[in-house]
Amino acid sequence: MLAIYKKELRSYFNSMIGYVFMAFFLLIIGVYYFFNNLMYHLANFEYTLSLISFIFILLTPLLTMRLMAEENKQKTDQLLYTAPVTATAIVVGKFLAVLTILSMVMGITCFYPLILSRYGDVQLSSAYAGIGAFLLLGAAYLSMGLFISSLTDSQVVAAVISFVVFLFTVLMDGIAGMFSSDNKTAVIVFSVILVLICIMLYKMMHNLTVAIGVGVVCEAVLLTLFFTNPTLFDGSVRKVFSWLSVNTRYDNFTIGVFDLSAIVYYISFTVLFNFLTVQVIKKKRWS
Amino acid sequence: MVEVKNLSKRYGDHLAVDNLSFTVDKGQILGFLGPNGAGKSTTMNIITGYISATEGSVKINGVDIFDEPEEVKKMIGYLPEFPPLYPDMTVKEYLYFVADLKKVEKKKRKQMISDIMEATKITPMADRLIKHLSKGYKQRVGLAQAIMGYPELIILDEPTVGLDPKQIIEMRELIKDLSKNHTVILSSHIMQEVSAVCDTVMIIDKGKLIISDKPENLSARLGATGGLRLSVKGDKKVIFEALKGVNRINKIVRHAYVNPGVVELTVYCNENEDIREEVFYALVKANTPILEMQSLRMSLEDIFLKVTSSSKHSSLQEADGNDAEESVEKEVSSNAGDI
Repeated sequence: MLAIYKKELRSYFNSMIGYVFMAFFLLIIGVYYFFNNLMYHLANFEYTLSLISFIFILLTPLLTMRLMAEENKQKTDQLLYTAPVTATAIVVGKFLAVLTILSMVMGITCFYPLILSRYGDVQLSSAYAGIGAFLLLGAAYLSMGLFISSLTDSQVVAAVISFVVFLFTVLMDGIAGMFSSDNKTAVIVFSVILVLICIMLYKMMHNLTVAIGVGVVCEAVLLTLFFTNPTLFDGSVRKVFSWLSVNTRYDNFTIGVFDLSAIVYYISFTVLFNFLTVQVIKKKRWS
Repeated sequence: MVEVKNLSKRYGDHLAVDNLSFTVDKGQILGFLGPNGAGKSTTMNIITGYISATEGSVKINGVDIFDEPEEVKKMIGYLPEFPPLYPDMTVKEYLYFVADLKKVEKKKRKQMISDIMEATKITPMADRLIKHLSKGYKQRVGLAQAIMGYPELIILDEPTVGLDPKQIIEMRELIKDLSKNHTVILSSHIMQEVSAVCDTVMIIDKGKLIISDKPENLSARLGATGGLRLSVKGDKKVIFEALKGVNRINKIVRHAYVNPGVVELTVYCNENEDIREEVFYALVKANTPILEMQSLRMSLEDIFLKVTSSSKHSSLQEADGNDAEESVEKEVSSNAGDI
């Protein structure tokens, strides 16, 4: 794991990507910091961070696009998968490398609240909680980017798909708000999602009976639940969609609340996508 | 050392490896021989744990790759068809990374890397970026990677592809050297390579094992053909007249015209008969000196073609391979009559 971690980290700083990422990230944080905190005398650095969470949509694909895609393309995956290391160690090593780069950026931003505190009273604890949560938010995006990169052997495809998916997670909150909260809409939306899942299942397994079978069973469960207990579905579309909205979890930190559920959410989100990446690698062995 | 049992690999409807079984003893060099798409690389990928088998088992030193992949992977060094190199690293960086990846002890690392670079003759390239290396050097760096950690089993997929003739000879020497301390499995579609290096040859076609034997036994078993290849100086008619006098000759084939005044031909007799002396005296009598004489023996190349081409047309002439021959053959048989 350490070997892969070191190699990845070195490759980011041997090429321009690592520097470009860090420089651009720090530039944007710096600009927002300057205007919000220094010019308009706002003492909350965590609020500044919440304004720039969109930055992850643009910058994380830059880091994660090559992680697995490049190995697949250069056939260096053969070296990794025939070496005495587990798939988990490979994925975790790579993930920790990109996380380290993000941590470096966030490490530098740790000085910003200190600078502010020279000019007045700053609640450092909430500022640092904000920085920590921002790092975890980034980790969630990085793990998703890593997963998408493992699905393809083209960096460009990985970058574009990551970008679209990340954009979707940001827009998710708005989209969820557009659906009415009655239970009939909920059932229709869930049915549509179910159909999409079944199509994906068929594409992956090439087995029509399994795909249709799963679809029919799930739809039956859905409808039974709907007729026996319709109130269960009240407002559920918004609830489900907001599960996927990664950015809004940060909102509580903006107002200085330490939201443990958000921390747990980010960590489990990260673990889930790392786990999925490991599964993609293992599946490749079997296809 | 290596025990492969009933190995099969299926991609959809396509059977890439079909019920393959073999064993390799310690210190042996096994050569996989087969046309492109025969399943050589697939088999190697399965042995190294890169892909899984649909059926069958692979055991190395009694440990199943399926049950304990990490244990087994420690014992294997693998050079795939395309050397797995990171173009943006220098050779040295790359080898340090591989040593780290293969869990070579820190103390031994430096020594081992310089030894291996010496053995594969890449020391002068140590500080160059891999993307700037030629194909031959890339191949050697790939080999260095496979040897790293001195695993007991070294698997090389077409190790000499892209090398120039001198490098090919060096590579063979290196592989022979390796076999003193390691077991080696290599694949190739070039016969000489296999016959020069390997203790055992396995010919594979369409995922099936066709034949497996020592290279010299293979040509003895399949390669017995009675006949001589001759270049004789003199007039065509005189020579054919003289050869008619040798009773044991079954057939004469004249080859494409090369030098004026020199006739190139092949004479066939029954297997295991020696007609060299008779041919010699017959031609001496006719005052047509023999410039060259060579016994016909099927090379591994011919055996390979004979075994892998399932079509019934694959007669010996075809295996000899030369378009010009067939057209001349008709002319000759009409000229010389049935001999």
